[in-house]
Amino acid sequence: MPFPPLAANAVALLDLLREPAHAATLSAREWDLLVRSARTARLLGVLEVRLTAAGVLPLLPLPVREHLAAAGRVAAYRRRMALYAVDRIAAILVPAGIPLVLLKGTAYAAQGAACADGRVFEDVDLMIPRPRLAEAEARLLAAGWAYDETLSPYDDRYYREWSHELPPLRNAEHPLELDLHHAILPPTGRAQPVSDALFADALPIAGSGLLALAPVDQVLHVCAQVFQDSDCVGRLRDLVDLDALLRTHGGEAGFWPALARRADRHGLARALWYGLRYCSSWLGTPAPANATAAVLHAAPGRATARVMDALLLRALIPGDPDREPGVGARIAGVFLAARAVWLRMPPWLFLYHAVHKGYRAMAGGVRPKSGISSR
Amino acid sequence: MKVAEVGEGGLREYLAQPGLALDFGAARARIRTDLPALAAAVGSVYSNFDVEPAEGFFDVTASVRRARGPRRVLRPQIQFVADGALPFEPFPAATHLPFLEWGLNWSIAERCNQHLLLHAGVVALGDAAVVLPALPGSGKSTLTAALAVSGFRLLSDEFGVVRLADSLLLPMVRPVALKNASIGVLRALAPAATIGPVFAGTRKGDVAHLAPDAASFASRHAPARARLVVFPRYATGSATRLEPLARSRAFAKLSANSFNYEVLGADAFDAVARLIEACDCYRLEYSRLPEAIAEVERLARRAPSA
Repeated sequence: MPFPPLAANAVALLDLLREPAHAATLSAREWDLLVRSARTARLLGVLEVRLTAAGVLPLLPLPVREHLAAAGRVAAYRRRMALYAVDRIAAILVPAGIPLVLLKGTAYAAQGAACADGRVFEDVDLMIPRPRLAEAEARLLAAGWAYDETLSPYDDRYYREWSHELPPLRNAEHPLELDLHHAILPPTGRAQPVSDALFADALPIAGSGLLALAPVDQVLHVCAQVFQDSDCVGRLRDLVDLDALLRTHGGEAGFWPALARRADRHGLARALWYGLRYCSSWLGTPAPANATAAVLHAAPGRATARVMDALLLRALIPGDPDREPGVGARIAGVFLAARAVWLRMPPWLFLYHAVHKGYRAMAGGVRPKSGISSR
Repeated sequence: MKVAEVGEGGLREYLAQPGLALDFGAARARIRTDLPALAAAVGSVYSNFDVEPAEGFFDVTASVRRARGPRRVLRPQIQFVADGALPFEPFPAATHLPFLEWGLNWSIAERCNQHLLLHAGVVALGDAAVVLPALPGSGKSTLTAALAVSGFRLLSDEFGVVRLADSLLLPMVRPVALKNASIGVLRALAPAATIGPVFAGTRKGDVAHLAPDAASFASRHAPARARLVVFPRYATGSATRLEPLARSRAFAKLSANSFNYEVLGADAFDAVARLIEACDCYRLEYSRLPEAIAEVERLARRAPSA
């Protein structure tokens, strides 16, 4: 299916991710737009890694090199802090015999995977079996982890009853928050990945006593996150993660058929179809011809696919850094948010939740964005 | 051509599209706004800056624009926009320049992590730089401003930019934010200095900005070696007292007062150590500004040059 065209700065960013050697030909103005787009898309650190590996860094203007270096330093710091937090948390939970599965970036970093390099780490994502959740929570709270005191009883209850994770936990010694999951998608959602299978096939991470999802499950987790449980806004960097995972494991014997079978097992075939589609279109991810064929049975109709193409183009791909999101992007965001809600919870729950949130908003209970720090 | 030489209409045009380019030294910014009042204020506090083309690569691109919808006219608000995003809640339109300056501070701190960013004012006499760390209640900005109008060149008020490779201080020449009583004090101290409009009712009280002078702007690409670290402490009615501080203590206090020390880790440790080793460190308690200036000047003249 043909794709609608991308904006210039998006084309430049995607091109550079695929062909870092093209960096040598960019003008100062092109760099200005590119660095700003990449930063907004949380891909500046990844760009730095790829440009360094391609050997083009010395050819770039000094200010550009400095911005890349700065992004690299922040990425390295946050990665270090994520692994430090994992180490401390493991010391609390592993001795109690609680199986600890690292998710997403936390796993990539612990495994030394390529997609961890230059990645912006935002929080620490771990998964443990649901029956052990209360015990793990108690141990963490006893060890100095705590919930945000502004967490309302309603939100707390929402997390515990209807979500796949506890409210975020914080610790004064750790800059990153801890998200403790018992599943990879909400229990209220339309897709219900088989948690038992996720745990059963999790692989040990050498020398750590910790586990990571099997590669097929890691791939499906990203697809689920983006296409089953989010409004896709700003999620290009998740597709970049997905691209890296597929390139790393795509050559392994039996990977693609196993991936398709697993997608069906978890009810994530449609999400995988989307993942493969957008990764191949935008990031040039190589996939064997029968890979997409294997999930074709879950593909959306032509019209739906066209609509998703248009929506994702506006929501997921970074816009012009010199403009605020236009009407198209905002409408796309609204539609995709509605889609996410539809996929995340049944209509009666949405109504209940919306009424409650709406009431609290009118009563002034909604927290604003954080204001300027006192710098 | 200097910003001061551009007429108000011309300045508004620059600030519309593609923007007004400002070279702070360690960073270059491109500013846009649709508020005529902000255009005038920018013209005042950046009066000694050169007007440069706004094309090319910039470290920070930011704009302050009127809010949309009812808040455009009803109790008017403004928004800070950087790279297509709105990182902050809107502010009252009357506090436009402080809002721009705070937004620029935030943007610089987000982006410039290739350098160590101390929370300190930095001035220099000849080749010897004086670092004035900004502990709460220190009166750092007042003292920085006072030194800047008393023969010292201004490197920066908010960010002490330390180059990791050699611990040299890089200028980040920006207007110095004066609060409340300091505004009147500076006016009395230096009647000829350009101080921008006073903004009442901000989070920090009354705020006005001292414009960097032409000499400080001209030296914005000239790094300086730190020779003095002076921890100021303003205490009403106190005598001027200078107390030497052990380098180890100064190290601890300096590194604790930084924007990105933890991010830079071992490299930051080495950079601060190298910086402190070349410095004499002091605690300065004062209430009378001229005496404080005199003390710092005496120390700066005595310090070995680079």
